[in-house]
Amino acid sequence: MPPILKYVLRRLLVVPITFFLVTAALYGVIMLTPPETRAQLYLSGGRMDTQQALQRAIDRIIEERGLDDPYPVQYSRWVSNVLRGDWGWSPVQNDDVLRVLLRRTPATAELTLYSILLLAPLGLASGVIAGWKENRRPDHIFRSLAFVATSVPPFILGLILLTIFYAGLRWFPPGRLGLSEQALVRSSSFKTITGLLTIDGLLNGEAGVSQEALRHLVLPVVTLSLAHWATLGRVTRSAIIEELGKPYIVAARGRGLSTRRTIWFHALRNALLPALNSSALSAASLVTGVFVVEVVFAFPGVSEPITNSLAHLPDTAMAMGFAVYSVMVVLPLMLILDVLQVFVDPRMREGGVGG
Amino acid sequence: MKRFFRFLSDQQNQRALTIVALYILVAVYAPTLAPPDNPDEPGIFKVVGRSSDHTPHPPGNGTLLGTLPGQADVFYTLVWGTRHALRLGLVAALTTACLGVLLGAISGYVGGTANHLLLRVTDAFLTFPMIAGMYLFREVMTSLTRTGDATSLFLTVMQTLRLDPVMLTLILFSWMPYARIINASVTRLKGEEYIVAAVSLGASSFRIIFRHMIPNVIAPAIVLVARDIGAMVLLEAAFTFIGIGGVSPWGMLLVVGRNYIVGPYANPLAFWWVYLPATLSLILFGVGWNLLGDGLNRLLDPRSYRGR
Repeated sequence: MPPILKYVLRRLLVVPITFFLVTAALYGVIMLTPPETRAQLYLSGGRMDTQQALQRAIDRIIEERGLDDPYPVQYSRWVSNVLRGDWGWSPVQNDDVLRVLLRRTPATAELTLYSILLLAPLGLASGVIAGWKENRRPDHIFRSLAFVATSVPPFILGLILLTIFYAGLRWFPPGRLGLSEQALVRSSSFKTITGLLTIDGLLNGEAGVSQEALRHLVLPVVTLSLAHWATLGRVTRSAIIEELGKPYIVAARGRGLSTRRTIWFHALRNALLPALNSSALSAASLVTGVFVVEVVFAFPGVSEPITNSLAHLPDTAMAMGFAVYSVMVVLPLMLILDVLQVFVDPRMREGGVGG
Repeated sequence: MKRFFRFLSDQQNQRALTIVALYILVAVYAPTLAPPDNPDEPGIFKVVGRSSDHTPHPPGNGTLLGTLPGQADVFYTLVWGTRHALRLGLVAALTTACLGVLLGAISGYVGGTANHLLLRVTDAFLTFPMIAGMYLFREVMTSLTRTGDATSLFLTVMQTLRLDPVMLTLILFSWMPYARIINASVTRLKGEEYIVAAVSLGASSFRIIFRHMIPNVIAPAIVLVARDIGAMVLLEAAFTFIGIGGVSPWGMLLVVGRNYIVGPYANPLAFWWVYLPATLSLILFGVGWNLLGDGLNRLLDPRSYRGR
């Protein structure tokens, strides 16, 4: 078996281990609450009119689901429910938790996707240029911009952008679509294919919808990208500086390769490793970032049902659901970034050094 | 000592220290700068007019920075928010650092299976977004307080340590970088001659870890603490702002301020004093600690210092 495949397989094996570790800890936290609270995870449908009816239903659930059982029994039962797609019932949304989260996923995915598409190339490019021109003007500009980007927290940046571009200039409104486009999207002639409005609009032949969706995406995407752009750029910059001092670069230059070629092909390739590594480490913070940005811009993604359910009753099912959901989003993301490292690092492909 | 003076003579470090010192001074002299109604239990809001008056009033008329709807003094909240921010930042960041450094150092020193296990746990924590943890702990806390189960172990621990869900989340989901850095350096140090010498002289593990290893590897953790103080305060403000937990006074000013930027009464230019002071003090707080972290980084890591 080629070493690269072996490495990928080993990384794949880590995913379920991490998943079970995290969910076990999660259920451990939930076990701190009395069984009555956990029973609400399974309180589905039907309105409980009286306190007694509710109490009876809860008692029955505790009995049926064995919520008094020891931790390992309960955890394995819960986790198998989760894996089968039974994530519990949210009393606030009055709907199935998994269904609520999945319904909101396309909006969040669209926002995240555009942000990554914006920040990854920009972060790498600006890091390379800043490292190449170390201590000269491009580097100074990059460093000051990156400093500002990391010092201004996303939610404040969002507020500033809203003040200027929405309240002041009326260019980019919050939300996901204007009212008329919303009506159009809800109508039966509009077919949801990918769930991403910018693409669905084009597929349905409604370019106006795509344009409007893009207009609503500009501010959140910029806000979300900026902090991560700065981090990525900084890591790339210092990696490039380190690579440029190495003998292989001198050798490449000595063989007559142009500076441009040495940097963009040889140095960048090795600088990609720390960049990928740092991106994998901040994958989870991207989720937090998306959440905050969605709330600031009133973007109807996954965060909306969660902030809604906060305002009302305790909604344990939703809390658990969101936690599992975000772990399930972050894990594959980290796996991809991990596996990409093997493709970039020649040492791992040779099978010499590697995990 | 020479390095210390070089640190002080750097213009950027002077700026950083000035900003941080300013916040500390404001926090210390908060009672004089903005005397609370009840000196024994200063709240985070002070009403300076009829609380039924829902129009924010501009600066003047006895208030330095105007009032919020409900006539709460903006300046008062700003000043007392400094105290809250510094306390939260220092406590959370230092606790996080201690936790991470201890875990990383001990498991790195012990090595073997224990170390592998810690690294797995670290990775597991890295996959978990802070916002989900925040929401989860908040749910558990509210349901525990609602059912009035005061005997619960969790509540008792939280109360004796005077932790709230925000603090708990910040600490629980920030220690991993410390543990990873310290762990890697301690593992590398284990083979060094002076450590082997200390072992053969009969030094205890405790002594080796705390006297010989940690002082040698602590530098990057100090840099991280400086940055984390700023970052954690900003995060708490963000959590407060989106309403998922936290009681950051600056964040609360922005919650009110948002209604004047995008809400139905939106008129950001007319009501600037509602949100601008909190925005600026949050940004400056982050800038100050970030600059300090960068300065410490240049001081403690000579490799990254390449003139200017």
